[in-house]
Amino acid sequence: MEPALETIGLFKRFGGLLATNDVSLSVERGEIRGLIGPNGAGKTTLVNLVTGVHAPDAGEVKLGGQSLRGRGMHEIARLGLVRSFQVTRLFGNMTVRENLMTSFLARRDKGESDGAGQTEGMIALTKLGPLADTQAKKLSGGQRALLQMACGFVVPANCYVLDEPFAGINPVIKDAIIDMILDVNRRHRATFLVVSHEMAIIRRLCQQVTVMMEGRVAAQGTLDEVARLPEVIAGYLGKALE
Amino acid sequence: MRGRRFSTGISLGFLLAGTIAAGVLASGLPAQAQDIGIGLVVPLSPPGDPVGGQLIRRGAELGVETVNAAGGVLGGRKFKLYVEDSQGKPEAGVAAYRRLVSENKVAVVPGFFHSSVAIAANEVANEMGVPTMALQASAAEITSKHYEVAFRTHVVDPVRVSAFMEFIKQKGFKRVSMIAETTDYGIGIADETIAQAKKAGGVEIQKVPFDRTVTDLTPQLLQIKAFKPDLVINIGVGQPLDLIIDQATTIGLLPTTPMLISYDAPVRPQYWKLHPKNGAGLYFIAYFSPKAPLSDIGTAFSKAYVEKYKEDPVYGALNGFGAIAIIAQAINAAKSTDSKALIKTLETGTFKSWPSNPVTFPRASGVYWHNWSAPVLILHYTKPMEDWKEAEVAVQYAPVVPKD
Amino acid sequence: MFSTELVVQTVISGVMIGVLYALMALGITFIYSIMRMINWAMGEFYMIGSYLQYALVALLLGPDLWWLAIPISAAGVFAFGLVVQWSLLKPIFRKPPEARDDYATVVTLALLLLLRSLATGLAGPNQFSPGSNLPVVMVGPMPLAGARVAAFVFALAALALFYCLLRYSWYGLALRATSQSRIGVQTAGIDVQGVDRIAFGVGVALAGLAGALLAPVFLVYPTNGLITTVKGFEIVVIGGLGSIPGALIAGVLLGLIESLGAAFIDSAYQNIYGFALVLLILVLRPTGLFGERGREA
Repeated sequence: MEPALETIGLFKRFGGLLATNDVSLSVERGEIRGLIGPNGAGKTTLVNLVTGVHAPDAGEVKLGGQSLRGRGMHEIARLGLVRSFQVTRLFGNMTVRENLMTSFLARRDKGESDGAGQTEGMIALTKLGPLADTQAKKLSGGQRALLQMACGFVVPANCYVLDEPFAGINPVIKDAIIDMILDVNRRHRATFLVVSHEMAIIRRLCQQVTVMMEGRVAAQGTLDEVARLPEVIAGYLGKALE
Repeated sequence: MRGRRFSTGISLGFLLAGTIAAGVLASGLPAQAQDIGIGLVVPLSPPGDPVGGQLIRRGAELGVETVNAAGGVLGGRKFKLYVEDSQGKPEAGVAAYRRLVSENKVAVVPGFFHSSVAIAANEVANEMGVPTMALQASAAEITSKHYEVAFRTHVVDPVRVSAFMEFIKQKGFKRVSMIAETTDYGIGIADETIAQAKKAGGVEIQKVPFDRTVTDLTPQLLQIKAFKPDLVINIGVGQPLDLIIDQATTIGLLPTTPMLISYDAPVRPQYWKLHPKNGAGLYFIAYFSPKAPLSDIGTAFSKAYVEKYKEDPVYGALNGFGAIAIIAQAINAAKSTDSKALIKTLETGTFKSWPSNPVTFPRASGVYWHNWSAPVLILHYTKPMEDWKEAEVAVQYAPVVPKD
Repeated sequence: MFSTELVVQTVISGVMIGVLYALMALGITFIYSIMRMINWAMGEFYMIGSYLQYALVALLLGPDLWWLAIPISAAGVFAFGLVVQWSLLKPIFRKPPEARDDYATVVTLALLLLLRSLATGLAGPNQFSPGSNLPVVMVGPMPLAGARVAAFVFALAALALFYCLLRYSWYGLALRATSQSRIGVQTAGIDVQGVDRIAFGVGVALAGLAGALLAPVFLVYPTNGLITTVKGFEIVVIGGLGSIPGALIAGVLLGLIESLGAAFIDSAYQNIYGFALVLLILVLRPTGLFGERGREA
């Protein structure tokens, strides 16, 4: 069976910097894969290449065996590959409900429901009820992260690429986001690629992790396996785990 | 500006001289020794106004035919007309004047539709000495410089305003509002009107200026309405003029209060298309109407013109003809084609042109210097869609040159 | 001079023209809010709207069907806007964002000159009027041309319709979201080029609608769009670039200030009062009355 998400020999150069250097990885359907590595290792560049923000200089991305070459961001999203941003990209002047509604209507299939049910479901799930009519720009950082996640989940996608979903938010909201990820993964067999520095969460969520260093895939395996590799300890985990 | 105009004028002039003169000379028959050359500088191609130039040319050509058919001047010498295209450009007009004087040895250079061309040509004429006669250029500078060589047979703005005053006097108006665009033309006319009204006395004047680019003139018109005038003078040119008519109708100023338009825009076919309902009842300045009486030579010319062109002559053609008639009379009276003698004769003599008022070019003050104009008319549309030729002649004002 | 009647008349006249000014400015601010570019040729879309209205009324439908001609004219300008976005603007948006502003300025200024010359070439420099059979209407003590009242009513209806579409329709949601974050909507699965196309079409159609509505009032000629360009940008500066309520309020404010200034200060400087307000706003509140300081990319 085809992997849910596959990258084949991705190269991307920005000026003198080779941001990704022959990156190949493949994630099976229903898997939650961790993507770890030091800052500047090329993780966000990889996410941008996978989701169509940038076009690779060489190589290609496949979603469920289908090549994404030449497709724009919105087409990739409609094909079922949804991402979150490190810095949340919400519609600041619109309310929580309108943000969810926009995400729902953008990806729903034509003629499906009006999204009221799904939107209210997400508001209940995220316990954002009291803030449903508040403008997104007035939310706290954690609430924004939660809302962004909820926007991704309001229409279940095949595959999620999450860029630092837990950075700088309080533990209660972190747990809420983890629960949502596990719930969607279990119910829809959704595939995840999660970029994070938080090893405890990665350990909870991911069977397998991919380590990136200096634009390359440095290692792959369970977190415990890669944590034993000397070069990974030297280049990254030595600092992260202590 | 002037320096640049002249240097480019001269260099371009030499270039143009080759092309244009070649055409003119090739088509014209060689002048016979006793023929008298008359130059004509008119716009015959863009950016000049070719229609305006063509009308003057038709009149002048018929004028030359008339003079020659009657045996010419000075006991049998014929006129020969040399036509030059000014293209509405000062430099081309200057080059044309030089060529006419130095190559064709013409006695007089009438024509000139665009004021800028007349002003530039007069500078050269002032040095070369052969007189010019501006037929349809209205800028004050053409005559107010008091050049010996500069003559004009067209309506200058103070004459236009005198016609307004005549109209106001005839109708017994006491309160007059002017809505005037803030251009040299609009403010010039408005201020002249205020000055003449003050001199005449008994009339209260309101001046409401507006910027040409403003399209909603309701605030201005409301002020005018509040003034409760007997007459509104519309001193807009082009599109503002039409906006004023429409917006004055809306707020109820028209048709109850008479409106006078400062130039002859309503004779154009466009007028009735824009104002099919509210265009009637308006008064407007015009320079000619078939209903106004012509002189005997004017009547004869009109007949010949209709025969040749199957349409009535208009102001430009009449003025083109008139210039030739005046020049022929002046040469006969001077018994010479010498420039100095001719200028002296024009200044002192009385001549006949197409209208009934006598032609003189006195050394008067200001813009009246060497200036004669046909009577200024104020026409009145008495019913919708009326042909301008049928419009009632409300005022026929023969200019009186102010005494020093 | 200061009669109550004149004051009331002047205020009514100012509000009426102000709403139409707002309609002209709305397209500029709307297109900016979505595409982050300024369409300098907005006045020429007003001009096209007025010519379409004239052509439809004078040649095809007759003056009694003027109301039918208005939506057709606006739709024609909308369609033309789609073509312009597809052929001239879409390629610009493939370039990096820093260069877009400059390209958009050059392209729309070139379009302005082209359309104006084309109008002069095709229909000549003279003015036309589609005429109007509507009677004069009394609004309080103020007699107003039927065509102007109709334009006012149509403009209000169009503004209300525009507001409802933006507020309550799925497409309005997408448009508003795009104005917040162009990256965000693409991530959500919205084709931002498609949104641009509709936004540009709707934006220029608003100007075209103003042109069609005002054709019998302010006449039809090649440079009649100048009023939209000048007033539109004044309003955008006063109200704040990208702000729709700002455009409405600034439009009415500008109409009032011009009317009152012309009536009670000096009529020669009618255009100056608006500019004075613009300068005042720039000094006191450089982002305009309702402008935002920044936003997410």
